[in-house]
Amino acid sequence: MRLPRLYAKKRGHRRTVSREWGVLGDGIFHGILLAAGLFFGGILVSGVVAPEWRINHDFVRTTCSIRAKGLARIMRRDSPGGTVAHWEPRLLVRYLTDGVDRESWARITAHDTSVERDRALGRLARWELGAEVPGWFDPADPEDVVLERGYSGWLWLLGLLLPGALVLIGGTGLLRRLRSWGKSEERLAASAGLSELLDPLAHPAPAAPGHPGVPMWDDLVNSPGTILRYRLPVESPEYWTVFGFGFFALLWNLVVVVLAVGPGLDLLGGRFEWWVVALLVPFLAVGVGGIVLFVRSLLLATAIGTTQVEISAHPLLPGGRYDVLLAQGGTRVLRSLEVLLELEEHATFRQGTDTRSEQVTVYRQQVLACGDVRPAPTSRFETRTVVEIPVDAMHSFTAAHNAVRWRLVVRGTPDRSPAFSRAFPLVVLPASAAPSSDESPTRPPAVQPERNGAGTGRESR
Amino acid sequence: MMIDPQERAVGMPRIEVVFARQRRQYDPGDRLAVRYAVEGCEGESTRAVEHSVVWYTEGKGEEDLGVHFFERITDRASLPDAVRGGSFETALPGSPLSYEGVIVKVRWCVRVRLFFASGRDFVSEHVFLVGRIPPARLPPRGG
Repeated sequence: MRLPRLYAKKRGHRRTVSREWGVLGDGIFHGILLAAGLFFGGILVSGVVAPEWRINHDFVRTTCSIRAKGLARIMRRDSPGGTVAHWEPRLLVRYLTDGVDRESWARITAHDTSVERDRALGRLARWELGAEVPGWFDPADPEDVVLERGYSGWLWLLGLLLPGALVLIGGTGLLRRLRSWGKSEERLAASAGLSELLDPLAHPAPAAPGHPGVPMWDDLVNSPGTILRYRLPVESPEYWTVFGFGFFALLWNLVVVVLAVGPGLDLLGGRFEWWVVALLVPFLAVGVGGIVLFVRSLLLATAIGTTQVEISAHPLLPGGRYDVLLAQGGTRVLRSLEVLLELEEHATFRQGTDTRSEQVTVYRQQVLACGDVRPAPTSRFETRTVVEIPVDAMHSFTAAHNAVRWRLVVRGTPDRSPAFSRAFPLVVLPASAAPSSDESPTRPPAVQPERNGAGTGRESR
Repeated sequence: MMIDPQERAVGMPRIEVVFARQRRQYDPGDRLAVRYAVEGCEGESTRAVEHSVVWYTEGKGEEDLGVHFFERITDRASLPDAVRGGSFETALPGSPLSYEGVIVKVRWCVRVRLFFASGRDFVSEHVFLVGRIPPARLPPRGG
């Protein structure tokens, strides 16, 4: 029997750990999570859920006469080597079971202990000596009586939520690993469905019907234009910057408010502790700075005015020519305004435990350039142009970790503000299949790692 | 440490794949037909053979994989023939096209994978082109 290798060569120059060891390690990790979930779930079910369920379903109703009140002291382990006393209110009750007159110290509910003795005593106050009250006894142990039924909601939640999450994460991970054991990546990819259910984050947005790998363009054609057929949605990094600054300012200042509550109350009570205030000042300064940055970015983003781009058709085809309308709102004078057609490659990869992404623009063509743009106070600046997609253009492509994206980018330079850039995504379809011919001049395959017929062989186990 | 090529070849099967088109250049919707022959796995018990036509990404990002055609042969009647060699064909889809980008590359390939009774498997991969997209180049700075 051969043991799996500790490392194996991946395609290209990257050397990675063995797939088998990876799968084994991942399986063990998820197995531990599953076992922990089952263990803690078992403890909570046997200690909390099951006793309550029995009381509500199996215990037999009777009538109890209250004879005395008392507290039961239960010693429980706390810190290593130490114990802590818990107090449980109890009532001495007399009741009949199958014609037998019994007397027992009854619990009020299934779980009613407290570390505070006074609190436990308080629970007894509303019960009157000599009163006749309903009670429920365990048919298997008639001495075990409770006076109130019901469920401890939070205990059930705790009992199900935490171990449930562990069981879910561990179980799905283990199932995913078991399912992939001994199967090729092609077989796994060919039988999607369950794998998508088990690992939904690993799969990209659905591709356009009939165009594998091409993103859907539904969101790009659901807004009609005012002059041309479609108004393209905007993807502006400025808005994300505004959102980021706003979110940071909100979060930071909430923390500052929480930290300032105590010293503020002290100050109102006439006590002033200078070192606490000194500690708060840097936090407050950062909070004010966050607000200033947010307001500034908001003013810059809104001062420019909206940019609209409309197009005569969508999706686009290589070699196609399309009318484009650019409309710029606002009252700012722009020293320059240009429209660029760009093709951007986007890759997502892991570096250690971080997920990073990188973008590279591999095609850029200026389709419109205007100088000294002065929008009128009552109407927006409008201009038209024609955009032509190169005949040998790569189509739009999307997968879980890689994408090739076409877009129109509007760049402007206001007179007295920083330049802005707004992107409008496009979808370019592959060109329709040309008549195939081996005779036509073609470039050789970009990657020809083997001589004709003898492929790259990899032993993977 | 130097590895003797002869020593490395021991136990490694050799799979020859012949495309119906010698230049391995296809257009979307074309019919892809391949024949393959396996050598060097005599004496090894094989439990399955898989044929697939897939696209995958290469480059900076994590690898993405799309399976266009997949066939697994496990039945005892067909397996002995399939282990020696065989053929399969499929109509290629309209996308994605082969693409030689800067940080994203899309490649199409035919894979023949053998699963041995010992537990190991061997895959042979043969790249071909779909479409005629020229390689991408970075635009000039400031362009």
